[in-house]
Amino acid sequence: MLGLALLQREDYTEGVKELEKALDLERGASPKGYKVEEIWQDLARARYLLWEHESTKRSWDLQNLKETCMAALKEKHFLDTSQVEGFVDENIQSNLEQLEALNGVFNKAAEDDIPTDVPDYLCCKITLDIFRDPVITPSGLTYERAVILDHLHKVGNFDPVSREPLYSSQLVPNLAIKEAARAFLETHGWAYKTD
Amino acid sequence: MSLTVAAAKQAEKLRIDGNSYFKKDRFGAAIDAYTEAITLCPDVPIYWTNRAVCHRKRNDWTRVEEDCRRAIQLDHNSIKAHHMLGLALLQREDYTEGVKELEKALDLERGASPKGYKVEEIWQDLARARYLLWEHESTKRSWDLQNLKETCMAALKEKHFLDTSQVEGFVDENIQSNLEQLEALNGVFNKAAEDDIPTDVPDYLCCKITLDIFRDPVITPSGLTYERAVILDHLHKVALIDIQLSFPFIYMHIFILQCHVLILNFVIFKVGNFDPVSREPLYSSQLVPNLAIKEAARAFLETHGWAYKTD
Repeated sequence: MLGLALLQREDYTEGVKELEKALDLERGASPKGYKVEEIWQDLARARYLLWEHESTKRSWDLQNLKETCMAALKEKHFLDTSQVEGFVDENIQSNLEQLEALNGVFNKAAEDDIPTDVPDYLCCKITLDIFRDPVITPSGLTYERAVILDHLHKVGNFDPVSREPLYSSQLVPNLAIKEAARAFLETHGWAYKTD
Repeated sequence: MSLTVAAAKQAEKLRIDGNSYFKKDRFGAAIDAYTEAITLCPDVPIYWTNRAVCHRKRNDWTRVEEDCRRAIQLDHNSIKAHHMLGLALLQREDYTEGVKELEKALDLERGASPKGYKVEEIWQDLARARYLLWEHESTKRSWDLQNLKETCMAALKEKHFLDTSQVEGFVDENIQSNLEQLEALNGVFNKAAEDDIPTDVPDYLCCKITLDIFRDPVITPSGLTYERAVILDHLHKVALIDIQLSFPFIYMHIFILQCHVLILNFVIFKVGNFDPVSREPLYSSQLVPNLAIKEAARAFLETHGWAYKTD
């Protein structure tokens, strides 16, 4: 709860720390209890808020810098053009290209902070969310553990996509993908957003 | 015997002559033989590809390209022709087309003999081609980026100069903030250039045995992922164990019981049937293709072409 309180007063970094601690302890105490899920949801929300706070500042700084540089470049073009006689059209074209290129550079630098789609291979085909605890089936397909277990218990013992026979004992944790998803979230914090 | 049948027979004889010259490294003579065969029967693709192989041995890439294109006209699915055409295009630095031809060759070879050694050979050439293509394109990108950065840095410094000369007082703060701005701009250009700078491929995309990026990853029941060819190699390893040395107790027992049976001194054991890292029992039938990681590795190579480099 300290974590939640810290989020309320916008100390996101500390809030995340407290919630991580809470999750750790809860996982140790009762790994399959409903409270784990509850704390996890709060932690995901906290990480999202932290990212939002930090990326807003980054975007703001980047936008200011871009405007300053665009202005500086335009001034330079103006000064250079007024000193060069003739060849004006080519210069205008190449100046426009330069401004466009600079715009491109700023967009590329800001790329990680712009929410887009999480790559397919990092998402469960059933939930369409980024993996938390991915497991792989003998057909080579990867699902979110909780969801595939649910499917096997409620719907039937077969792989939802390949339709091959499937039992929960055959599920193997896809450790590499779990790590890939974690690494993605670290650099693309917007993906913590839960609907 | 009609003229064409006689010509075909003669051409075949010439091809065999060419083949034997080739085996003796007499490439000039081989080329002459194939050329005669081509003159007699110009529509047989294999004469053209055989001649192309000779041209390649002599590094005569222009002729390699000519002969391969001719062969492809006659047979769209000639693996050798696409393969060598790809290599010839790389030689004259047409990387995009070179990659295309090698992709075609690999596709065809995989269809024909998926487990043959030629698949590996073509794959190596394709990886090299993709690397060269990336290198060519990223060199241009870096060059353009560097030029733009220098222009912008200069423009920003001019602006600082003009702004400063108009403002009275507060000079130190301005200098500090101007330096920060230049530093920030440098940071922006570095970030934009990031993907093109070779670093380490993320661990989860590399096989723990080969330390190379995955091509055909498979996962074991312990949840660990390896390169398919390498883990299969590991599982199929056999070892000869000398019973006399390794199990002297058993050996002596058998000897003492005076069995009148010829004792085999060696026993072949399959020593590899375990997961290399987790050490749990593992059989090749338990390997599952890690399709998600395969896709992740492919996506990474698309944006980080430097990772195609094979040592």
